[in-house]
Amino acid sequence: MSFIILKNIVKEYGPAHALRGVSMEIQKGQWVNIMGPSGSGKSTLLNIIGGLDTPTSGEVFVEGIKINALSEDDLACFRREKTGFVFQQSHLVPYLDAVENVMLAQYFHSMADEEEAVGALTRVGLEHRLKHRPSQLSGGEQQRICIARALTNDPVLLLADEPTGNLDRENTKMILELLKKLHSEEHFTIILVTHDPFVSQWGERVLMMEDGSIKSDAPINP
Amino acid sequence: MRSGFYLFFKKSVSRRKGRIVIAALSVTLSVAMVSGIIGMTAGVGAKLGEELRAYGANIIVSPREGNYLAQDVAEKVSRIDSVRGVSGQIFGTSVFRGQPIEIIGLDIAKLKDRGWRLQGKWPQNNGEILAGTDLRSQFKIDIGAKMHLPGGDIGGDFVITGFIERGGTEDSALILDMPDAWTVTGADRQFSAVLVRAEAGRLDEVVQQIRRMIPQAEAKTFRQIAVAEESLLRKIQLLMVIVTVVILCAAVISVAATMGANVLERREEIGLMKALGATKAQINIFYRAEAILTGLTGGVAGFISGYFFTQAVSKGAFGSYVPVPFYIFFISLLFGLVISVTASYLPVRNALKYNPAVILRGE
Ligand SMILES: Nc1ncnc2c1ncn2[C@@H]1O[C@H](COP(=O)(O)OP(=O)(O)OP(=O)(O)O)[C@@H](O)[C@H]1O
Ligand SMILES: [Mg+2]
Repeated sequence: MSFIILKNIVKEYGPAHALRGVSMEIQKGQWVNIMGPSGSGKSTLLNIIGGLDTPTSGEVFVEGIKINALSEDDLACFRREKTGFVFQQSHLVPYLDAVENVMLAQYFHSMADEEEAVGALTRVGLEHRLKHRPSQLSGGEQQRICIARALTNDPVLLLADEPTGNLDRENTKMILELLKKLHSEEHFTIILVTHDPFVSQWGERVLMMEDGSIKSDAPINP
Repeated sequence: MRSGFYLFFKKSVSRRKGRIVIAALSVTLSVAMVSGIIGMTAGVGAKLGEELRAYGANIIVSPREGNYLAQDVAEKVSRIDSVRGVSGQIFGTSVFRGQPIEIIGLDIAKLKDRGWRLQGKWPQNNGEILAGTDLRSQFKIDIGAKMHLPGGDIGGDFVITGFIERGGTEDSALILDMPDAWTVTGADRQFSAVLVRAEAGRLDEVVQQIRRMIPQAEAKTFRQIAVAEESLLRKIQLLMVIVTVVILCAAVISVAATMGANVLERREEIGLMKALGATKAQINIFYRAEAILTGLTGGVAGFISGYFFTQAVSKGAFGSYVPVPFYIFFISLLFGLVISVTASYLPVRNALKYNPAVILRGE
């Protein structure tokens, strides 16, 4: 059975259709990029897979769990046990330093552990920025904290919504190389939304979305 | 508490010091008002009871006409069955240093153990008197001061052995033992009033008997007087309850506005916490803790300012400090908590309903 299975996912916002019946499967450990024009439903799809949003109809299975049927608290539990999110706006807590931002994710998962948080930041190359607040860091550094935060609880699924959307080419490359390294070491599944054709070439598979549907689904040839 | 809670709570609170101070201040003001009002009402109630107990009497006999009762009234009353004690009092005025001064004559020996606040000593001999505490500053006199009071044929010379404070008219009067008072007021062997202590269950009977025996005297139970005062007190209390409720509502609204702004500002944080897998309860606990902190801080500060408020008002209104019972402290804490927890309930509950996907999409 596939790691992720979507069956005819529909998401409506009032009369607007964000998703019009999306079905697909993703294998464990795969790196899938989602592309498509603005408003085509990429973020909506990503959020539904990650249990951050719920579909209007259809079924979502992750690791065999039918997450569209979970209660709100069970969904929260699913998110903290299985997923890690990275957003375009980093959504770091401004009054916490780098270590504390990572510790916040540990706190909700189980318990805050400074040593482990330092380890997570070291893996993303921020061992020299531990006590810096987000406002004292560059965009690329902020996104690396987000990656450390997303991965600190060893999720099986990393969801990234335009993680390099605010970065220049050099920082984009640095982030992608970091993700690639971590992905090859830890074999979590990545679903990454991007507008950037450069970014979409990383990974193993590209989904093209248009107007709430998947237009094309193709492997990337290395 | 899960390890890490204190760290994040502390950071979040110190980040929002200003807001919390404002909220705590609203709580402080209203708790001060409320605890002041409760303290004052309780204090006045206690004072009223004290007033009645001060002479250990429950019936007062006074002249129906004229100013005085003959001394034999006291003797007659004391012969009634069920009467346990009788003491005559005389009220008059004299002059000291050119100013009128009130004189209360009574049996000073019977005053001891009645809970009068005394500075100095009880008079032992003729010519020794007590003064109300207000006279001390009015005439700049102290214990041991000598006073000449005119009256009768020759007047008398007296020494103050102590000052008393009762929060009543006594505080601005001189208190003389009976024979001295008779000398000064010239009302020899007569009383302005006779205070009677009768068996509690037979007060009405005793009153009727006094009225029959001594037609020139009016007898009333203290209860009759107290009931009139109590009904006034009860009206005041009702008014205070209404004022209290209004103040509490105002405080809840103002704290809710502050909390609402606080929560709105933290929408993104709430969305993030949800994305990190926090349950509503886990997020709620931060706000609940903040509300409790605000409530306790405001409650303590409110109690302290309420205490001084009460004292200032009661000194102004009643001429003496009222005792503030210690339980008011706990009531203050309770009110503080109720205000801030109630006020934060709705804003936080709404904030927890936010869909994280919508908040975090950001523009
Ligand atoms: N909360 C919402 N309320 C109403 N409509 C919404 C909401 N969220 C998304 N939509 C609509 O759903 C559609 C898909 O939105 P979505 O954010 O998934 O697009 P997207 O592909 O991620 O776009 P972008 O590249 O701009 O991020 C859009 O038409 C959007 O306007
Ligand atoms: Mg999007």
